[in-house]
Amino acid sequence: MVREKILVTLEDVYRRSTQKDLPHLTDESVLLETGLDSLGFAILVTRLEEELGYDPFTQSDSAVYPKTFREFVQLYEQFSN
Amino acid sequence: MILREFLSRVPADRLAVNDCTVGDLLSAAGKIRQRGFKGARVAIQGQDVARAAALLAALDGNADAILLLPAALNASVAADLAGKAECDAFLTDVNPELHDDDASQSSPDLLGREAMSSHRQNVQTGTTKWILATSGTTGAPKLVAHSLRSLTRTTKIDVDRAADVRWGLLYDHARYAGLQVLLQGLVSGGGITAPANTSDLKQTIRTFAERRCTHVSGTPTVWRKILMLPESELLPLRQVTLGGEIADDVILSALRNRYPQARISHVFASTEAGVGFSVSDGRAGFPIAYLENPPANIRLRVRDDRLFVHNGDVNPSYLSSEDRFADADGFVDTGDVVEIRGDRVIFLGRANGVINVGGNKVHPERVERVLLEHNQVQFARVYAKSNPIVGALVAADVKAAAHVADEAAFKDSVRAFCAGRLEPYETPAFVRVVSELKLSAAGKLERI
Repeated sequence: MVREKILVTLEDVYRRSTQKDLPHLTDESVLLETGLDSLGFAILVTRLEEELGYDPFTQSDSAVYPKTFREFVQLYEQFSN
Repeated sequence: MILREFLSRVPADRLAVNDCTVGDLLSAAGKIRQRGFKGARVAIQGQDVARAAALLAALDGNADAILLLPAALNASVAADLAGKAECDAFLTDVNPELHDDDASQSSPDLLGREAMSSHRQNVQTGTTKWILATSGTTGAPKLVAHSLRSLTRTTKIDVDRAADVRWGLLYDHARYAGLQVLLQGLVSGGGITAPANTSDLKQTIRTFAERRCTHVSGTPTVWRKILMLPESELLPLRQVTLGGEIADDVILSALRNRYPQARISHVFASTEAGVGFSVSDGRAGFPIAYLENPPANIRLRVRDDRLFVHNGDVNPSYLSSEDRFADADGFVDTGDVVEIRGDRVIFLGRANGVINVGGNKVHPERVERVLLEHNQVQFARVYAKSNPIVGALVAADVKAAAHVADEAAFKDSVRAFCAGRLEPYETPAFVRVVSELKLSAAGKLERI
């Protein structure tokens, strides 16, 4: 559910930022090697905050920066109640 | 003490910069000294950090002044600054046309020719001026004079303990932040890994990992990017330093989680103010107690929500300019807006409203002007919205000139209009349609 939402939003942000379609992602895909730069991920995080109602980066003292797509999804899943 | 004396206390076979040992540096410095430069004013613009270090060791205590110019400065700006600093020699490996040497030399290096300064006086030990250019984000770069003493005032020196310390240099060594790292390494006897090109962050971090770098200093922006790279797991860090931008609780906490063995410090410093101070308690801002009992011989003051600092070691004026940047009491306006929250002084942003988006500076007025060119926008206000990935994003409140039937379509049209006229980092990531915008008492759009 959260994963689906992330993927749909990522596809949209990716298209708007790069004018290209999101390439196929695996769990091990490194976020900054997908073709979306950190500005693109910054926009993704704020779009997801609007869609999901929370920003997992600021949720606790255990802040982490995700490196791969799997870690990114896990970060959001962890705080989805 | 001069730089050569500091280096002489370090074992000669210890690595200093990249593969160059302390002994190599001192011997190169000795050769450079034989070529002159006594009492001269020397501009250095170098990419090769080992060569620059040898030059600095040769010139400190020998030359009257050293002007350090960032490698990225173009030739005409560099020449102009060298003129302003009244330099007699220009040594460069990036702008061959400025190289102060025989024009026929095919591979310019940083050695230049002898300074032609018979009229110059010998300088007294320790009085060489170290002149740096401000980053020039507002107008042309300005020159500020420091000394080795002021630049290394907070440097901890323990030559034995530094034996297994290796700094990874992410900044240009001719910028204030980079020079601090270089001098910290040289003066305390720690090694420095300085890749020739740091634009590929992934490769740079790999190099730092291969060279077993234990100490790295970077901006919060660069640390956020590093933490998103799998290579970040390979760094055996014992010291993580953040500077140059606001370090928020999210990045401090994420660094602590990734590098539990490391001491994490965020540094406040500006070229004008000289060495500032660092905070290592893992929390954003600094303790309010610093206003009464400041660290490191500086003084701090909050006035009109702005932070002022006092540092007696820096000449409180720009070189070749009447502008003094310190007030009558010697306090320098940092331009940082602060707020006292509980027992902390927290940095909110820049007084001029400039928004830092992942290291790029955005002037809100410029974005507002573009928004107002959209024929359906009547008023616009641009502000920062904090973001964990790039520190801040640009947000805009707009008031439509007429009733908007389809708000989503209107926002898309505003965003597309901006995207065609502004850099991606300047384009508002959020657009909010509002029915009215708050005006200040003076009738101006309020900036918060």
